[in-house]
Amino acid sequence: MLATIASATLSGIDGAAVTVEVHVGNGLPGFTIVGLPDTSCRESRDRVRAALLTSGFSWPDRRTTVNLAPSSIRKVGSSLDLAIAVGVLVASEQLSGETVAGRGFVAELGLDGSLRHVPGALSLVDACATPEVVVAPGSHPEAELIDRRRVRSAGDLRALVDALTAEAPWPRPPDGSVATAVASPPDLADVRGHPVARQALEIAAAGGHHLLMVGPPGSGKTMLAERLPGLLPDLDDATALEVTKVHSAAGERVVGLVRRPPLRAPHHGASTVAVIGGGSVRVRPGEISLAHGGVLFLDELGEFSTVVVDSLRQPLEEGVVRLARAETRVELPARFLLLAAMNPCPCGEGVVPAACRCTDRSLERYRRRVSGPLLDRFDLRLDVHRPGARDLVSGPPAEDSASVAARVRDARTRAVERGVVCNSQLSGSEMEQCAPLDTDAAALMERTLTTGRLSARGMRRVWRVALTIADLAGHDGPLSAEHVASALHLRTEPGFLVPAGGA
Amino acid sequence: MSPPPECWAVALAHLPAVGPARLRALLGSVDTPADWERVWTDVRLGRVATRCIVHPPSSGAESIRTRWREAASTIDAEARWQAHVDAGLTVLVHGRADYPAALVDDDDPPPIVFVRGDPDALTGPRVAIVGTRRASRYGIDVARALGADLARAGVVVVSGLALGIDGAAHSGVLEAEGAPPVAVVGSGLDRVYPRANRALWSQVAERGAVLAEYPLGVPAAAWQFPARNRIIAALSDVVVVVESQITGGALGTAVEAARRGRTVFAVPGPVTAPSSAGTNQLLHDGCPPARDATDVLVALGMSETSVRADAERRPSPQGDAARVLQSLPWHAVPVEDIVVDTGLSLGAVALALDALDVDGWIVQRAGWVERMAR
Repeated sequence: MLATIASATLSGIDGAAVTVEVHVGNGLPGFTIVGLPDTSCRESRDRVRAALLTSGFSWPDRRTTVNLAPSSIRKVGSSLDLAIAVGVLVASEQLSGETVAGRGFVAELGLDGSLRHVPGALSLVDACATPEVVVAPGSHPEAELIDRRRVRSAGDLRALVDALTAEAPWPRPPDGSVATAVASPPDLADVRGHPVARQALEIAAAGGHHLLMVGPPGSGKTMLAERLPGLLPDLDDATALEVTKVHSAAGERVVGLVRRPPLRAPHHGASTVAVIGGGSVRVRPGEISLAHGGVLFLDELGEFSTVVVDSLRQPLEEGVVRLARAETRVELPARFLLLAAMNPCPCGEGVVPAACRCTDRSLERYRRRVSGPLLDRFDLRLDVHRPGARDLVSGPPAEDSASVAARVRDARTRAVERGVVCNSQLSGSEMEQCAPLDTDAAALMERTLTTGRLSARGMRRVWRVALTIADLAGHDGPLSAEHVASALHLRTEPGFLVPAGGA
Repeated sequence: MSPPPECWAVALAHLPAVGPARLRALLGSVDTPADWERVWTDVRLGRVATRCIVHPPSSGAESIRTRWREAASTIDAEARWQAHVDAGLTVLVHGRADYPAALVDDDDPPPIVFVRGDPDALTGPRVAIVGTRRASRYGIDVARALGADLARAGVVVVSGLALGIDGAAHSGVLEAEGAPPVAVVGSGLDRVYPRANRALWSQVAERGAVLAEYPLGVPAAAWQFPARNRIIAALSDVVVVVESQITGGALGTAVEAARRGRTVFAVPGPVTAPSSAGTNQLLHDGCPPARDATDVLVALGMSETSVRADAERRPSPQGDAARVLQSLPWHAVPVEDIVVDTGLSLGAVALALDALDVDGWIVQRAGWVERMAR
């Protein structure tokens, strides 16, 4: 007899609907899976058999064929386990075909018959072509984020069959509310001193400007970085769903829609695949996709491999990363705010004049590692200094994240009126149109250009930052010299790029 | 056409284990330069007189003779000479009429001086500006200003084309467009070292002269720099040490200069700064301080060409700029501190700093602001 069960498999961060067809017929007893299954998928056979037997069902002593349609796409992972098991039950007439009609099944099976959570459950449920989907209890909270599907969950195969045959009510979904208590992000009010760095963070958040912080160890770079996501506004619905899908597909436990911009801080030893995403069969999202909608923080930028750093350039430009493999091609979202921190030089003391103990050669090497096109993508380049003792002990109480975030929100509203999400996305001509410079500002810009401190590309970046500064101040009309001077100041040439000696 | 006598002198300079003393002995072993070809032939045939091998090693003069003979067999003297001619170098050999007058009577003169550029750049009063390679911003600024002011006053500034003070001094001279710059380097004239100064090197050669004791192809080696320093000291009427650690190559130059009876000036620095520890020691030992070019010009007897400017020539800052300048301490501070101290916005501070920078009241570098006395 034939059974047809709906399920889904993961490709990148998106699900693809899969129809599991199970045929149990005459012939030599045996079990075959066809339809481009991956190794992990072929292992289903042993899990399904054990799960059926331990749950008190019988295994058909006949010829069993499982077809995973469409057979053109490769099926990866264990998300089809449950669908195959249910298919075998229906095809061997241990379960009536009507009970599974209009239902999709997405879960991995344990040998004891228990249903288990699979990575990417959110996308998989989204992809199922049925009005109702059965998942493992662990997947229930994220599956429920898809409004147009009715989500059911059961702890094990026996409970599932009882519910399907209406012998028992559906088990109550697990209580998701306990897990939703998210630890509150660190607040900007904890940061003492750093008036300029705080302002740079605010500008970065408001304008979506990439920020590089250069400072000695212990100057508070990491502390500042951790507070950047708290300044960003909540994600909009479409982005939130996209972000949640990425996190689900990466196997991170999702308890609800990810509304707050994420912060990802990979260690500098991270491989290219870990950062960009990849994998030979199942393409996993990398750190840049996990930072989508939020902040990618690269601490010790100078220590990252140059290959990793250079591979960031295309995603930075386009907001997506395209990963092509022999059999698949996926496009993962990767629109993030790049925040990087580094020591001014190998010894770390380079920001204080004459305190550096580095040799010319080690400085030269350090310069080579980080200079070039990437440094140019940072709209804001800031020297962070160790705050003075006075600021740490008795400085005035600092402004908290909420009030800064309110200004950021207002500034972003102004950007949206210009037709972009934030000012960093404005093209050169759009900017000249909506943010002209007044005479003083133009004179200042011109003077900086002629002294060679700024390139033409650098000028446009400074201009955008100046616009964001004006937005934050609620300033209308042409940009003034003060805005441009601040923007110029927030794009200093990092100290280590200026050789101490020579011309 | 037979090559000039210098050809054989250059060939002798290519031999291994030949320093200034042995080269002088070799060249001086015959009566006239015309006989230098014979000296080269003797070397090739391994029959150099033992008196030419000064400071013989413990293994005896014979071992040197053998080394020279073997090395000479691989040296094509005329091709090497042609290489120097093709490179456009001037070769000045001790004992010839065109050899620099300043070096003739020295007690350890370089037997051969290779010059790229104009050998006449050496005429006129000469002042060496030397100092550490790892200079502070202060040292760089002082060296640059001294170089510029002295060049404007018509003084030839001699330095070593190294990083730090040397490079800054040369840059100052080039900016001033006064007297030509002169550099003495510690490698062959085709081996630019340090490579970071490549552009500076060619500019100095173009506008003045770059001198070396070593033939083409000789790479930089640590021992050649102290040797180079003695030439700088010998060439100069006055030596100014701008900045030096307590043990620095620049102090070596000062010692060489003092031995030759030249006046050594030291630029005072903060007593706590390791970069000025060497110069402050020189001051303590009795060297006169060089506060600016005028101090040096007085020593040269040229003081009338420059008048010390006591009056403040910079325009007084106005508004926020005045407030910012008022708040600045005498040491370098990060901009953050200025924002906190003045209570002005970052934009206002940035504008004020820009105005102060233009008028020369302050210098800004990598987020730090430092007040300038002049």
